[in-house]
Amino acid sequence: MRQIRSILEGVGSTVQLLLRALSYVATLPRQSSRFIEQCYLIGYTTLPIVGILSFFIGSVLALQAGYSMQNFGVMQFIGSLVGLSLARELGPVMVAILVTGRVGSAITAELASMKVYQEVDALITMNIPPERMLVLPRLAAVAVMMPVLTVIANIVGWFGGAMICKYTAFISLSPKAYFASMVQYTKFKDVFDGMVKAEVFGLVVVLVCCNIGLNTRGGPREIGASVTRAVVVSLILILVLDYFVTKILI
Amino acid sequence: MASPASQPNPLPAAESPAVGVSVEALSKSYGKLDVFKDVTFAVEPGEIFVLMGPSGSGKSVLLRQVAGLETPTSGRVMIDGHDAGSAETREHVRRALVFQAGALFNSLSVYDNLALYPREHQMGTEDQIREKVMRALEILSLGKTAETFPSQLSGGMKKRVAIARALVMEPQLLLYDEPTSELDPVMSATIDEIIGSLRKEYHVTSVVVSHDCDLALSIADRVGFLMDGRLVHVGKPADLREPADPRIAEFLNPKIDVGNPRFKKIHTET
Amino acid sequence: MNNAQQTARVGLFFLLGVALIWVTYETLSGGKLFRDQGYTLIAGFDDVKDLKKGDDVRMAGVKIGSIDLTRLDGRRAVAVLRVDSGVLIPRDATATIYMAGLLGSNYVGIGMGTAGVPPLSDGQEISTTVTPDFNTIMSELGNLGKKLDGALGSFSSAMNGDGKGNGGLIQNLDHLVTDNRDKIGATLSNLQSVSEKINNGEGTLGKLVNDPDLHDQLLAAINELKATATQANSFMANAQGIVDHVKSGQGSLGMLLYDPQSAENLRVAVQDFRDVSDKLAKGQGTLGKLISDDSLYLSAQSTMKKADRALDGMTDSGPITAVGIVANALF
Repeated sequence: MRQIRSILEGVGSTVQLLLRALSYVATLPRQSSRFIEQCYLIGYTTLPIVGILSFFIGSVLALQAGYSMQNFGVMQFIGSLVGLSLARELGPVMVAILVTGRVGSAITAELASMKVYQEVDALITMNIPPERMLVLPRLAAVAVMMPVLTVIANIVGWFGGAMICKYTAFISLSPKAYFASMVQYTKFKDVFDGMVKAEVFGLVVVLVCCNIGLNTRGGPREIGASVTRAVVVSLILILVLDYFVTKILI
Repeated sequence: MASPASQPNPLPAAESPAVGVSVEALSKSYGKLDVFKDVTFAVEPGEIFVLMGPSGSGKSVLLRQVAGLETPTSGRVMIDGHDAGSAETREHVRRALVFQAGALFNSLSVYDNLALYPREHQMGTEDQIREKVMRALEILSLGKTAETFPSQLSGGMKKRVAIARALVMEPQLLLYDEPTSELDPVMSATIDEIIGSLRKEYHVTSVVVSHDCDLALSIADRVGFLMDGRLVHVGKPADLREPADPRIAEFLNPKIDVGNPRFKKIHTET
Repeated sequence: MNNAQQTARVGLFFLLGVALIWVTYETLSGGKLFRDQGYTLIAGFDDVKDLKKGDDVRMAGVKIGSIDLTRLDGRRAVAVLRVDSGVLIPRDATATIYMAGLLGSNYVGIGMGTAGVPPLSDGQEISTTVTPDFNTIMSELGNLGKKLDGALGSFSSAMNGDGKGNGGLIQNLDHLVTDNRDKIGATLSNLQSVSEKINNGEGTLGKLVNDPDLHDQLLAAINELKATATQANSFMANAQGIVDHVKSGQGSLGMLLYDPQSAENLRVAVQDFRDVSDKLAKGQGTLGKLISDDSLYLSAQSTMKKADRALDGMTDSGPITAVGIVANALF
């Protein structure tokens, strides 16, 4: 019973946080420096790990597909398989998970420590709503950066798959054939759907992490607990939402 | 350290009138723990009200109610006719709270900490803001720390930065939580003087939570005494010289007597 | 971090992202974000089978559009085809629902039509033809067993008699041989030509073999079946049984029989038959013994006709060829 109540409270406070943050949207131009800073943190600094991970995800996907497909002699479909799975599913989900781990946890830690050390209280007494100063720039930044990260993840992953196909002995599929089959079956709509998903995940992760951070109570020990909770909740939400968003998009 | 007496006041003439605070039958409890119960007092516009009491008596919690950071369990706090936590109060009353630990923004430099409020509320150009911030820092002898970060400062310096940050806000209602703890005597005197001059020149209403008896005696218009969750005394500071309540007398002039049963208790327990 | 530098990096990063999105988009969509709407054609069918929204419309195997929707229109089903503009479909082209694979989706194939015929325009109806789908083929295969059984049963009873005093073929033949040697010679050559027909696979089989469409379709179907259709396994086991009989029964129709009892009957009958032939080959019996008994002759003739019809029925039924091909393809 208490768990259900706390879940409902979490959902309610997150939605409230979103609405409050959106009500300050007009102040965004004035906060452009904070927005840029958050873009830098969310987008630019996450890029290397996104690149590395998506390269290997693409490679492994191609490798596994090649291994399974060699019995059927349909190697030429590896390109479309890697292309579609990355664009529609793995790209957005992977980027969202990385953003959770790298950005979401940092957001929660920062906001939780601001809350614990009364900085948030100070903001409230200064009549600077934390939603405006702390949440809105992050939301805006993640909204702008998620599609960029996703498309980079897709492309790096596709090339990773192409490389594996060329240099693995039992596959040895030329990049030309690989990309030809990818282009044949992967439509821009697939990539676009993936970006919509990434957008939803990014906004939800940032919102949840902000909310859990701002609702931290107690001492410094609670900061760590909040970070753990934010990451776990975000990961669960990514996968649950993944199902529903996919269902809507298909 | 430079005496602030010769310094001009940091605040340009504030046009907004001072506000009064009335605390009406205020109670606060966390779960089953009652922090204080049925506290009623009023602070007149422009008055300096010092709230004293032993640690753990609920002074800081009371101050948080006035600052609108927490909602009371029962009763209410009215500022200028509106509830302390209401949007009207937040929008129309400039209210600054000096936290006991400073509550500085750790990610911002000292200068940006001070400049945040005027920037967010568009209180002038960047040059005007800079002038104002630097003046506030000078008054508290913090001129050299403008570009440092809060983590590089000592506890006392953080407190001074917090006070400077409150000054830059040009508040109508200033709430201090232990403003002079951790400060050396000269700085304490400076703080006393700042609180006093704000009242005199700009009619700023102040509520000071403290157990610093000297501060209470030197600047307070009235003193409230919070003990065991009750407001046991409200009166002129002069009354404290000869307190009627023995508990207050004991708090203000503790007699250190090793033969006191208090000490015996410690000895027997250890 | 220098503020201006940070801004520059974010700007660069963002532009890079936008550029990559654009490149992806250009590569995958050929520069059309919202696909060219094209024009619609209406195709009426008795049954749109498994066709659904989004399935391909192809012309000579090239995708030229997709199914917009399927709906009922009076007493027929109608599929609305959205065809890319720029693809002109002559008025005499026909649309057919094809199977892309056993487990896969269907698509609508449109014939090339005749060059020079004016093209169909938006909203017009395209004529349609029907091809048997997999289900029809399967159910025909299912009927085959029964048909074969029936045909061979009647053949067997014709050979052996019905046990009510009417002599079977063999008894009659025995008399015939002894009574009417000339005529039996003609009869035997008849029988022989019938068997030859079966052996050579003439008639319907030839036609079917010459129909590459059906043949290819079946081959494709069988290939799919081989890999995936475990559901069809139990049925195929039946078919295999039949086929085994067919294969081993090359020289002896009796071996075709399901029922071991009938098979035994037939084998015995054939053995008798061979005895007679042997006798004939050895020149046993005399012309004088061949009594011109009209009634016997006629009854023998009609029996032969029955047998002939039964065999014709078998060859006509078509699926026997299908089984043969299934057998060859599978085993």
